[in-house]
Amino acid sequence: MKFVDEYRNAELARSLGTEISALAEPGRHYKIMEVCGGHTHTIYKHGIEDHLPESIELVHGPGCPVCVIPMGRVEDGIAIATLPGVIFTCFGDMMRVPGGNGSLLDAKADGADVRFVYSPLDALKLARQNPDREVVFYAIGFETTAPSTALTLMRAKAEGIKNFSVMSNHVTIVPPVKALLESPDLRLDAFIGPGHVSTVIGCRPYEFIPADYGQPVAVAGFEPLDLLQSIYMLMKQLAEGRREVENQYGRVVPWEGNLRALEIMEKVFELRPYFEWRGLGFISQSALKLSDDFAEWDAELRYDVPGVRVADPKACQCGEVLKGVIKPWECKVFGTACTPETPIGTCMVSSEGACAAYYNFGRFARSKARAGA
Amino acid sequence: MTGANLPLMDPQSYSAVCSVVDGCLVCGDVAVPVTVIEAADPDALCEDEHGQRGAVGIELVAPVVTGERLLVHGGVAIARLGDER
Repeated sequence: MKFVDEYRNAELARSLGTEISALAEPGRHYKIMEVCGGHTHTIYKHGIEDHLPESIELVHGPGCPVCVIPMGRVEDGIAIATLPGVIFTCFGDMMRVPGGNGSLLDAKADGADVRFVYSPLDALKLARQNPDREVVFYAIGFETTAPSTALTLMRAKAEGIKNFSVMSNHVTIVPPVKALLESPDLRLDAFIGPGHVSTVIGCRPYEFIPADYGQPVAVAGFEPLDLLQSIYMLMKQLAEGRREVENQYGRVVPWEGNLRALEIMEKVFELRPYFEWRGLGFISQSALKLSDDFAEWDAELRYDVPGVRVADPKACQCGEVLKGVIKPWECKVFGTACTPETPIGTCMVSSEGACAAYYNFGRFARSKARAGA
Repeated sequence: MTGANLPLMDPQSYSAVCSVVDGCLVCGDVAVPVTVIEAADPDALCEDEHGQRGAVGIELVAPVVTGERLLVHGGVAIARLGDER
């Protein structure tokens, strides 16, 4: 298929791997962070690390929308979902994220009307079809997903649909990256920028990374060769002493982003003063709430939500995994008490979560490598 | 998983072209390439690589024409697929 097959060519992958190895300075260890969960998934699924020299370490970042939702926000969602007359809608993986007292899936099993949708537009459709019910959409995601929520709210407003509301948990990519760059726990050499977030926000917002922190960025696509090429671009920058933002995913990402999407996001959302991220704590101006013009559709204003902070289970080390401080397999409960079927932490829920991606694909390659060693 | 054993979905649904092999693409911040089958505003009928057809909100990239390739996330087109580089 066009745009897919040509980016999975094994021969080209091997040749890129050789070129990357040639750029690595002997004796130097490189830490490259992929910010996006979709990239983490590709890395493990396609064995990208097998094509890289041992001196290049890929560090997984906090770009999995499900993984960064704190337990308190899950509790808030369940509080709304269990109200009489509510049809509560959310994306599929979100249903399995554990809160302090179970997940949305557990609430559904106990009788709440929780339904998964792939699009907020389907949630709005449910509201049209059920005028006697209140339909709530639990919105999560980075700037890739926020435009679809914004568009849905624009349509709800234009059509005057009042039995629909949104609980916004949308987050923004730049503040957590800044938090990581400031973190003393982590010393990184370069960043692989998120491809689809950049489709919306463009490449300009990352310019502070080379300018203020001296690290190169390559915005990358999601096929194996996209990732290898972006690593090549980063290694070339490091070797040549350049520090800039480059766009490997030019076939999709315009430098300025999608201006129309940014414009409607500006109308529908405003920045929260601060928001809690799992593992990263409170980060200022890192999340979106509905603007005053859309307050009528804001589920957090329409319903009473507990709004309490719930501590993560003690055994769970998602925080360290999200910050790239430990690898998934270094967590004490990885693959034993915590598996994709019975997740303790969010990183094991979504297939883009570092733990689930590693559990599903990477652990086999690792056990094979260890057996051969 | 191939097109033949994917569940049939309502083509009026915005979910149809977002049903995926490896989990929920919305959660993974990944997007699905589709082809426009019937250009209409605000929803175009589109088809994904598995032959699944579904509605796609096109306001953010409009106008679109039949045969055009779009990138869809959460039932909404967020970009056009340009020429290969």
